[in-house]
Amino acid sequence: MTEVNHVSMSKKTQEELDRWSKEVKRGAVTLAILALLSKRRAYGYEAVKLLDEKMSFLALEQGTVYPLLRRLEKRELLKSEWDYEDPTKPKKYYAVTKEGLRALEAMMRDWSTLSREMRDVLTEVESN
Amino acid sequence: MSSNDPLKLIEQYLERVRVYLPLDSEDTIIELQTHLIEEAERIGGGTMTAGSAMMAIERMGDPKRVANEYAGSGRKVGPVPAEYVTPVSRIVVVLVAVGLAVTVGAYMIGITITEIFGTSITNWPLALPITISVNLVIAFIIIGAILALDRDKPPTEKTLLEGIFGVGVEGLKPKSKWDAAGDLIMGILWGIVLMLPAIVVLYTEDFAAIYMSIVVFLFLGAFRGALFLVGGENNLNLMVEAFLSVLWIAIAGTMVASGVGFPLESIYINDGSGWSIEPILPFFIDNDIPFVPFDWIWAFFIFITVAVAVWRVFVSVMKISMHLRAGRGLWWQGSWGERRKLTKPFWKRVVGGSDDPEPAGDSRQDGYAGSDNSQ
Repeated sequence: MTEVNHVSMSKKTQEELDRWSKEVKRGAVTLAILALLSKRRAYGYEAVKLLDEKMSFLALEQGTVYPLLRRLEKRELLKSEWDYEDPTKPKKYYAVTKEGLRALEAMMRDWSTLSREMRDVLTEVESN
Repeated sequence: MSSNDPLKLIEQYLERVRVYLPLDSEDTIIELQTHLIEEAERIGGGTMTAGSAMMAIERMGDPKRVANEYAGSGRKVGPVPAEYVTPVSRIVVVLVAVGLAVTVGAYMIGITITEIFGTSITNWPLALPITISVNLVIAFIIIGAILALDRDKPPTEKTLLEGIFGVGVEGLKPKSKWDAAGDLIMGILWGIVLMLPAIVVLYTEDFAAIYMSIVVFLFLGAFRGALFLVGGENNLNLMVEAFLSVLWIAIAGTMVASGVGFPLESIYINDGSGWSIEPILPFFIDNDIPFVPFDWIWAFFIFITVAVAVWRVFVSVMKISMHLRAGRGLWWQGSWGERRKLTKPFWKRVVGGSDDPEPAGDSRQDGYAGSDNSQ
């Protein structure tokens, strides 16, 4: 009976973890892209690889990154510029706009507050 | 069917993705193309091979899903799966346009639809739902058979169903530079030819009364060609296209209504000693030829040109509304209908030029405004 409960709890926990992970990632991904592109402009493939390398927790795939880049561009947080230097590989470079930088600063402030408060709470839990 | 050329494989795959994307998705296709090439090069350790291209394609995944992610159309739109919304609406547009073109074209030459399908429809109106039901059953059988044939197709090969759903894509592409140049040159050329006194004397009395309106139309067509040649496809040029198409329908309608038949009454004949003007009709009478085909040729010409004009009005209006939704104005440097070539330029293959340019090279603002309703 205990074994059955353990298995079912474990599955439920996993489901909760998956759900929570998705929510955290959804909230973090815009901040991550704006932060990375604020340092230097990048084209789609570069951005995908950069996010893969620096933000492995987010586990972002190209199918998520490209549409997000376009949405951020539409919301005027990013601007884009085509580079046709190599006609076989035209590159659409994305960079953060002034509006995007202002949004990034505000997000960073909130994120810092959130992470500090979360750390405090979690430290209390760990110490019990 | 699949090629061993990695660029060809990528191009074939992107053609599959394109079927499911909205019409103005060239930016997306180019981004995906660059992504696939770079990923294939990374997998191949700096060199793209057919194998590395296939791996990159397989990592990107099913074309329907990829297009759906990029188009951001959600999972379902009403009863239609989201990935089929674009191709289904495209095929509906094509069918409606063809239907309209045939209807207007037929009307212009004085044939009613009932005459085409037979004047007596028995059991009307019960025959209509029966016909629709039978056609639906046939359509389901055909689509089922096509789906069965489409099984096990590699990710690069367009399925039959995609081929059918993609119908009309060619007809909806922007006018190519060659077509625009053709409009310009042929418009001027034919405009001048129709005005030449040596040609005017050959006209029937009816046609001689209206030929100047066709000359003006041809010169306006040349002006349209020049606009497309300079500016590619943009709203102003599409409006001119739509206006001229409506104008042609009006001219053709006037000609049909006022009984203007085949324009030539006479032709030039060389009897060995010199050129003379001879009437066409006596030739048929003298030689006991019972069928004079010229009015039929003229009716066919009018039908085709009116059908094309209706199609152009339809496509132009659709594209103008699409561009307006994307926040574009009246004039911008639009694109032409030439296909992008994924192959490396010839000079680069000869001199072995690098594929890794400086990022800050020749660049321009593209003015993209894409869909924002996904996630």
